[in-house]
Amino acid sequence: MQILRKPLQRAYRKAIKLGSKATIDLIKKKGLSGRGGANFPTGSKWEMVSKEKDSEKYLICNADEGEPGTFKDKFIIEKNPEALIEGILIAAYAIKAKKAFIYLRGEYDYLESKLKKAITKIKNRTGSETPIEIVIGAGAYICGDETAILESIEGKRGQARTKPPFPTVRGLYSKPTVINNVETLANVPLAMLYDDWNKNLRLYSLSGNVTRPGVYELPLGTPLCDLIKLGRPKNPIKAVFFGCFGGCIPHCDIPLHPDAICGKECMLGSCTIIAVDEKQSIVDLVTNIAKFYEFESCGKCTPCREGTYRILNILENISMKNADMKDLDTLKELAEVIKETSFCGLGQTSTNHLLNALKYFRSEFEERVKEKKTRKRTAR
Amino acid sequence: MSLLLKELKQIQGKKGYISEDSMKKLSKKMNIPVAKIYAAATFYSQLHTKPQGKHIIEICNSPSCYLNGSLNIIKYLEKKLKIKSGQTTEDKRFSLYICSCIGCCDKAPAMKIGKEVYTSLTKEKIDEIIKGLK
Repeated sequence: MQILRKPLQRAYRKAIKLGSKATIDLIKKKGLSGRGGANFPTGSKWEMVSKEKDSEKYLICNADEGEPGTFKDKFIIEKNPEALIEGILIAAYAIKAKKAFIYLRGEYDYLESKLKKAITKIKNRTGSETPIEIVIGAGAYICGDETAILESIEGKRGQARTKPPFPTVRGLYSKPTVINNVETLANVPLAMLYDDWNKNLRLYSLSGNVTRPGVYELPLGTPLCDLIKLGRPKNPIKAVFFGCFGGCIPHCDIPLHPDAICGKECMLGSCTIIAVDEKQSIVDLVTNIAKFYEFESCGKCTPCREGTYRILNILENISMKNADMKDLDTLKELAEVIKETSFCGLGQTSTNHLLNALKYFRSEFEERVKEKKTRKRTAR
Repeated sequence: MSLLLKELKQIQGKKGYISEDSMKKLSKKMNIPVAKIYAAATFYSQLHTKPQGKHIIEICNSPSCYLNGSLNIIKYLEKKLKIKSGQTTEDKRFSLYICSCIGCCDKAPAMKIGKEVYTSLTKEKIDEIIKGLK
């Protein structure tokens, strides 16, 4: 696997030799883009911050991998923490950061010792003086959002900030800040060092109804069918969920590429694939995801706070065979309003799975609703 | 300020939960209003403002675990401990929480007790784990 190659601090030395501007140019030229889901060009982000005139700048490594079904960052921290730390030091050098933070999610607290060891080791070997602090979260999905992470590190409730100003202009403690995902930063030394580094390789987290779940390194554009085949499902796969926020589609032969998937109103995001087989009910699974969003909504804006609660209510009614056809339309309308009016990414994407499920699997919802009617009739 | 989360976690580690008293003391120590400390302490699902059991069990019910039968495991655990999610056993040994994804989707269903992660859970495994903790 490309991500497991050991750069052995050679990339850091190369960066020092090149100087910060040439390092940023190299990363830009190599075409490294953000792996947290937004695919933003990493070099451009660094350049924005390096051009800011503030003397204090920060780097944050986003290790708050909260998306259900995603475990690629954990994989990197467990298998190749040295590359990650080297990437952090290179990034900090390139943007001239005063300090770097690793925001590790509370659920991964057992990885802290591994990271600490790698930090000491790599800092000793490179002689870098940039302090790296590990901040451990305390269980909040919203803190994966780049502005919520800032609030959380500052010791506040992890609620998203208004953008603009973007973190690259006013981030942590109102100073210019670069926030990069674990996979992005781990790729930095590899991209700098190896000529055969492939910018299209991604880590896919495959889970759900497959017998061989795990992290698969495959290029963008890999057919969905091929990936599912690698997972060796026991039963035929009915649907695929791209994490919770990415929406769902019926299992079909599409290339796993943001462009191809966006046409289906889904998002590839951080390459999370949850396979769902024929024996599962989409209605129940969607209710499960709605419960997740109701629990994780931070409560800052009304559409998300109240909307996710209402949606869960209606879905539970449908699950319990206690709803009408009219409720399906209400559900769709509500989901659209939440999508359009929520404040941050969590709210805006919280109904993707539902809208897609209603589009592609409406018959399953209708069946549940009809079951109620037949039950009533027999009762009479 | 970045220390606040750390301080809160330390208090919880020592006392098991973050009481009003500890918040007031921390407010004086760090010179932050109590309201702000309370706001942070109640926001995060892993920080507790009420007394907890000795072992806090966080069991995952996100899609990947759900698809692999986590509901049965949760029901079994609830029956075994005679509590529901969010409650503490009478003998104050266990608190149970259904939580969001803990990133063990490839070994679902999974749960976390303290810093220990338990994966590929079955009813037999649950029996063993709980027995080992008593």
